[in-house]
Amino acid sequence: MKRKDQAQGRLIAVEGTRGTDLRKSARALRRRLISRKVGVGVSWWDASGAFFEMGLGKRKHRIASPRTLMLLYAADLLFRLRWEIRPALAEGRTVIAAPYLGTAVAFGRACGLSRDWLASLFGFAPRPDACHRVEERKKAAGWKGSAQVGFGEFSSAILGAVSPSFEPVRLRRETIALLEKSCRRGRVS
Amino acid sequence: MAARSGRQPGTRTPRRVRDLLRRHEETRGLLVAFEGPDGSGKTTQRKLFARWLESQGHRVFVTKGGSSPLIKPLLQARRKAHALSPEELCLLQAADFRNRLEQEILPALWSGQVVIADRYLFTGLARDAARGLDLDWVLHAYAPLFWPDIVFNFTVSLDTSTSRVASARAPKFYDAGQDVTHLQDPIISYRAFASRVMREYENLAVIFRFVTIDGEQPIYEQHKRIRRLYQEARRTVWGEWNIEALTEWLEWAAAVPEVGREA
Repeated sequence: MKRKDQAQGRLIAVEGTRGTDLRKSARALRRRLISRKVGVGVSWWDASGAFFEMGLGKRKHRIASPRTLMLLYAADLLFRLRWEIRPALAEGRTVIAAPYLGTAVAFGRACGLSRDWLASLFGFAPRPDACHRVEERKKAAGWKGSAQVGFGEFSSAILGAVSPSFEPVRLRRETIALLEKSCRRGRVS
Repeated sequence: MAARSGRQPGTRTPRRVRDLLRRHEETRGLLVAFEGPDGSGKTTQRKLFARWLESQGHRVFVTKGGSSPLIKPLLQARRKAHALSPEELCLLQAADFRNRLEQEILPALWSGQVVIADRYLFTGLARDAARGLDLDWVLHAYAPLFWPDIVFNFTVSLDTSTSRVASARAPKFYDAGQDVTHLQDPIISYRAFASRVMREYENLAVIFRFVTIDGEQPIYEQHKRIRRLYQEARRTVWGEWNIEALTEWLEWAAAVPEVGREA
């Protein structure tokens, strides 16, 4: 972490496959920054409530392809940028986005969507100033826990329930591999 | 204008998919899109056309913009709250379209039904472009595109459209474009927004080869013309135009039982 004066007005992406780990990691980072007297806020997945509301719908209607899920993630990210991230950055605060682009792009690519399409879809989102990748636990397992915990949990529940080709263990393993690769290259998408 | 494919680069269409499409080319249904500004008479003509097709022994499936069971509640609530930016509206509409395409339109076409789309994706494109969004970005959001066999584009003058809309009801916030015109009066806003939308329709009509229907002609004249054009229409060859969207759907359809039954 850089000095306090440099940390202000920065966008930090926290990327990872599991919602619970993302939350823990983002909260720990927030505490660290607050202890350094940095004004910081966190922007969580599904701030717009779109996924939550989808989860309330009838089970028979909860069928979506990876592409539809990506479009919804992008719509939610637009909401977060408009109401949470950009206003806070404009005030000179640091924003932790958990997750941001990396997780969604890696998940989309693991589902077979092209890098070009994903890059174009998320073209509106500014690059983060820093990317923090969550230490992944139990890499050989899929997602577990409530579908409302995170994007990975939600999407794998939707896709895994209807389609054997989106098997959660494989999907998570590939998402982690893609996420590691993108973070190693110093970029998140 | 071809939107970039949404599939992994280098992915080739499997031979079995090409064979499957070839076998289905004759038995598949036709996709007919009805497009045009509000008050142009699309819905009246769509109903007449559907009834005529049924009387000819065709099975007909009608789909309307914004009606996907998954996305409709989200869209409705946010539209009512006036809580959407143009980009958010565009992406939710694209998600609605994708969901309907994968779960309603393609299964119906595959099973041989004629699908009538009362607003296909072109309404979204025209309105998004009229809201100032980059058409290329919007097209990518809808990629891979699925081309209809015929697109009937209903044209009317701005005065006719405004007077027809105003005579029925005040247009809703986003239909009137009040999010971008920032005008209080929905009718005045509609007029300002509709002129932009009509311009965008004109551009799209050239790119996507719409068939123009004069919405100011008598209703029965329009209907007769639509019948004739439908009978003369040539099918879009799926294997040439829609291969990407279909390949993706077939892979998906095989996995999703509700859709897979149709496929």
